[in-house]
Amino acid sequence: MIKKGAKSRQPRNLLFLFEALSLSLLFLYQWDSLEKSTYITAIGLVLIIYLSNFLLLKISDGDQYIFLIVTMLLSIGLIMIYRIDEGLGVKQLLWISIGILTFYLTYFVLRYIKGWRNWGILYLGLSYLLFLFTFVLGSRIKGAKNWIKIGGISFQPAEITKLLLIFIIASFYSNKEKYKDIKYSNYYLVGIVYSFIALLFLQKDLGMAVLFYVIFLALQYIYEEDRKLIFLNIGLFLAGGLLGYVVFDHVKVRFVTWLNPWPYIDNKGYQIIQSLFAIAEGGFFGTGLGLGHPYFIPHADTDFIFSAICEEMGLFTGIGIIMLFLILVYRGFKIALRQKNKFYKILALGISVLFGIQSIVIIGGVLKVIPLTGITLPFVSYGGSSMLSNFIALGVLQVASEDLGLEDEHYEIGE
Amino acid sequence: MKLENKRIISVLIVFCLSFIGLVGYMSYFQVFRAEKIKQNSYNKRLWINEENIVRGSILDRNGTVLAYSEKQGDEIKRYYKYGRLYSHIIGYSYREYGKAGLELTYNSQLLNINENSAINEIINIVAPSTVGNNLELTIDHGLQEKTRNLLKGKKGTVISMNPKTGEIYSMVSLPDFDSSRLKEDWNEIAEDPNSPFLNRAIQGLYPPGSTFKLITTIGALNTSNLDLEYDCVGSVNVHGYTFTDYQGKGHGHLNLKSALVNSCNTYFTSKSTEIGRDTLGRVAEGFMFNNKIPFDLPVKTSSFPVNENIDKTGLAAASIGQGKVLATPLNMLLVASGIANDGEVVQPYLVKNIVSKDGKMLKTTRTETLSRGTSSIMADKVKDMMIDVIKYGTGKNGSIKNVQVAGKTGTAENASGNSHAWFVGFAPADDPKIAVTVLLEEEGSSGGRSAAPIARDLIIYALNNIKF
Repeated sequence: MIKKGAKSRQPRNLLFLFEALSLSLLFLYQWDSLEKSTYITAIGLVLIIYLSNFLLLKISDGDQYIFLIVTMLLSIGLIMIYRIDEGLGVKQLLWISIGILTFYLTYFVLRYIKGWRNWGILYLGLSYLLFLFTFVLGSRIKGAKNWIKIGGISFQPAEITKLLLIFIIASFYSNKEKYKDIKYSNYYLVGIVYSFIALLFLQKDLGMAVLFYVIFLALQYIYEEDRKLIFLNIGLFLAGGLLGYVVFDHVKVRFVTWLNPWPYIDNKGYQIIQSLFAIAEGGFFGTGLGLGHPYFIPHADTDFIFSAICEEMGLFTGIGIIMLFLILVYRGFKIALRQKNKFYKILALGISVLFGIQSIVIIGGVLKVIPLTGITLPFVSYGGSSMLSNFIALGVLQVASEDLGLEDEHYEIGE
Repeated sequence: MKLENKRIISVLIVFCLSFIGLVGYMSYFQVFRAEKIKQNSYNKRLWINEENIVRGSILDRNGTVLAYSEKQGDEIKRYYKYGRLYSHIIGYSYREYGKAGLELTYNSQLLNINENSAINEIINIVAPSTVGNNLELTIDHGLQEKTRNLLKGKKGTVISMNPKTGEIYSMVSLPDFDSSRLKEDWNEIAEDPNSPFLNRAIQGLYPPGSTFKLITTIGALNTSNLDLEYDCVGSVNVHGYTFTDYQGKGHGHLNLKSALVNSCNTYFTSKSTEIGRDTLGRVAEGFMFNNKIPFDLPVKTSSFPVNENIDKTGLAAASIGQGKVLATPLNMLLVASGIANDGEVVQPYLVKNIVSKDGKMLKTTRTETLSRGTSSIMADKVKDMMIDVIKYGTGKNGSIKNVQVAGKTGTAENASGNSHAWFVGFAPADDPKIAVTVLLEEEGSSGGRSAAPIARDLIIYALNNIKF
């Protein structure tokens, strides 16, 4: 315990140093118009992050790094968001605080309530319910009908559904014996996942659809014994993508502007080209905080935050963010490899894949490596629902990093 | 269990490779692509500076202001005092239409923004400039006006330069447009079939016609054992194709000099086989054919078919500047200048000095040699022949009392059916101060009749008025 504490103290201090430096830059940038909110945000950020890292060490004997990595990502994101819009920055700090509380809540709930792997049907029902809500109460934001508004707070149900999907798949593959007698049970799973993807397609939420698919494909690749099902899955997706391209205009637009956005510079290619301008302008070291032009980038606080960061903090910070995600995914996979409890093992894998593919899809998108689909950069972008769902996921990963033995199985036998 | 973990690791590897791929692409993008993307005129960052910095003025060689900017309230406005006269030199700078001409080439100097070094970036942040630098051109405003008046009503281009220093004194290409009325005229200019945006002096490629015989003459002088005598009967058959002389008249007995003076097609076509593609190509490339001419504005590259398999007919056509030979008028000016300057081709330039707002000289352009076209002995021989072209030959209309002019005319056939009229030359022949190229596009008359008088009037004005 002591040794572990010493090991993570050093990166924690480095994180503190990074925050102190970038916050003083922020102070310099706003020197003439320093407001109380800036101080509150600064002190709040340092306090929350330092305390929560410290606390985690006392509570969990699992992985000590994933939370540190995430807090680094949070810091970079918050500073950028605050620089773009002070009000939004204060709000983001609030979301971070709620997110961290949710993280601890998730941790304790998961740790002390047993039987999660047996409630597959419940997760499934909940998922469809959330989809139903979206269609009935949904409102359009940025062309996609994937938000619901309850009491003034906008919420994106798919952020929760993506976690439910991981739980559904985990509970299915960890309960193999139970489903053995049901013929074609694994085909049912394919059907369920595809129904999700189809629903997301109808909401025009392409980014999320890709996320769902990759999570499913990765877990299926690892756990499906019927190997030809994987090829079927890939084939189905290609066919579906082709159909989507022909039928849905919004799919075609994404594809065309990916291949060559320049002819559409002032209409459908506008967003991606503004992103490329920003990244190109930043160079290796960036223009410096406050010296770039993030207001030229559409949605610089959410989907395109990576471009805004590259412009002001430079290519090296961009590479740093990618590397942070790489370590996060690596730690996640390592946790999965060590975990003996199959349900948690699959959960850990699913969550690692989620973090990995979500960051690749959006970073690749704004770099024009792959077609652009609007999703958030986990822990960096502004946004309440994605912050909450990502922290729930991190909480699950934290639990999965602990030695759970085979107690879940014992519990079931005891039933 | 083992298999499961193996698969987990392979998925992990896929993710790691994807992340590393992203890092690799980002680096590639930054190193190889970013610079070009940044310069796109849709990048609003390029115009941010524009709103705060008073763009520098552009002046002629005598200090006459040609373009300047002025602050009007919050806005900075650019004025082109002689919008039409300098449309192909100064160009324009508009938010809506982008930039062209010297406004584009010297954008960062005009705005005084230092680029691409850490120290300069700090300077830009700490002490951002509010006034840009001025450009002093090599152009003589009086001669520029004279040149445009001489060309008025025609389609084509006239350029004049100092053959020893490379200073461009005047450059006019017609049709042109009005830099100061771009907003009002944009659609009209863009739709005009005569393409007023095209700077014919540097962006137009034309068959050089008989002016190319200067190069063939040097090629002949460089060919040992070549019989320079010839009997001209008005037409000759080279490998199955008949070349005829202007108006089909025979010139009788000729040597190299009288052949050039009379611009005899049959002489040069029949000698071309012996001169050969390689010798002719070497001379042409010495005068910058197939080479990029460095200039303050983008220049198209003239071409001579050195690597193509052309037959004897093709080579014969090339030797009189037809067929596969194409040249920009600027390149033909360099041919004349090279001969005037003892065989040495100097780099042409438009911007003489870059001067800061407080009068500090930031950069001065010096004369640089581009290539050696030919030896000074050969240059002298050709110069003598060019003097006789004006005295007795096709270029009589170019002659000036009291001043010895050297020149060569050209009448180039082309697809339009109306021939281009050419004249290249320089004066005074014994100590050349100015070299001229005149090209009248699809004029339908000979270079001697229509192009040579323009050159003559230009030279008279220049020798009387320019401070060399």
